Amino acid sequence: MNDAFRRGAREGFFHYLPLSIGLIPWALVTGVAMRGAGFSVFEAMGMNIIVFAGTAQLGTLPLIVIGAPMWMILATALALNLRFVIFSAAIAPAFEGVSRWRRIISGYLLTDGVFASCSPRMLASTDKDWRLGFYLAPSVWCWALWQVLTLIGVLGASVLPTNWSLDFMASIALMVLLVPIISSRPMLVAALAAGATAVLLHDLPLKLGLIAAIFVGIGAGFLAERWCTGNMNADAAS
Amino acid sequence: MSDSLMHSGWWLWLAFVLAGLATHIPRGSFIVAGSRAKLPAGLQRALRYAPAAALAALVMPDVLLVGGETQLTNPKLLAAIAVFIVATRWQNAWLPFIVGMGVLWSAKYLIT
Repeated sequence: MNDAFRRGAREGFFHYLPLSIGLIPWALVTGVAMRGAGFSVFEAMGMNIIVFAGTAQLGTLPLIVIGAPMWMILATALALNLRFVIFSAAIAPAFEGVSRWRRIISGYLLTDGVFASCSPRMLASTDKDWRLGFYLAPSVWCWALWQVLTLIGVLGASVLPTNWSLDFMASIALMVLLVPIISSRPMLVAALAAGATAVLLHDLPLKLGLIAAIFVGIGAGFLAERWCTGNMNADAAS
Repeated sequence: MSDSLMHSGWWLWLAFVLAGLATHIPRGSFIVAGSRAKLPAGLQRALRYAPAAALAALVMPDVLLVGGETQLTNPKLLAAIAVFIVATRWQNAWLPFIVGMGVLWSAKYLIT
C-alpha cells in the first residue's frame, strides 16, 4: 500500500461515491426478494456474499424457489453474467503487473457501476498501483454497501414502501454514467443502437436481448468510428 | 410456504455456489488470465464501446416500455429526459437523483 495506491483509492472512492446511490434500490429489492423466496436471514446473506450480483440473484430466485434443475440455474446465471466477460476483457489491461491473488479478488468485485465509472481513467493511467487503488476502493465500498443495504432489505421486507418507484434510482445511476461517455459521436451511435435493440428484443428470455443489444451497440460504434476517422483517432489515443 | 418446494439445505447452498461460479468466472476471466489471454487490438478497440452499449441497453427498455409496450408519455421517460438535461448541464452528481425522482413523482401524481 504505497502512496500511489492510496492516492488512487481516495480519488476512485470519491469518483464513485455519488453513483453508489444507485445501489440502494437494487440492494433493497434483492433483499426483499430473497426473503420472499423463503430464505432465512443466514441463507439470504450467504447467497449475497457468494453470488454478489443483483441481476443473477434476482434472475435465479424464481428457479431456486420452484426447485429447478441445477443446470438450468447455472445456465440462467451464465446468460445474465455474459456481459462481465466483455467488461473483464475491456478492463484487463489495467491489471497488468498486479499479483494473481489481487486479480482474483478484483474479479470477484467487478460490478457494472465500478466498471463503467472507473475503467476509462484506469486504462488511461500508467501507474499500476494508482490503478489498483482507483479500482479497489470503490469496489470494496460497493461490496460493503451492497451487503448492508441487502440486509436492511431482508430484515425490513415487510415494512418497506413499494409505491415510491425507488427502483428508478438504479436507472438514474446508469444514465448518470452514460451521459459523459456518449460525448463522442461513435459512442453515441453505440448507445443508441444498443438501446434500440434492447427495446426491440425485450421479449427474449434470459436477458438474451440485452446480450444481443451489447453486441449490436459495439458493432455500430466500431462502424461509426470507421466512418468519422480523423478527429476520432486523436480521441481514441487519449 | 415456498420453503416446502425447496429441497434440503445442501441443495440450496449448491445452487448458491453454482450461481456464484457462473458470476465470478465471467467476471474474473480476462482480469485473472491477464496478458496470457490478450485480445486482438481490433477487438480491444471495439470493446471500448461495451460500457456505452451495456448502459444504454439497460436503461432504454426501462424508460421507454410500459408493460412491454413503447409509450411516449410515461413518467419515467419525462424523468429520464430531465436527468439527461441536468447531467449534461451540471457536474453535480447528486442533482440528477433529486431532479429525476422529483419529476417522476410529480408526473405520476399529475398523470394518474
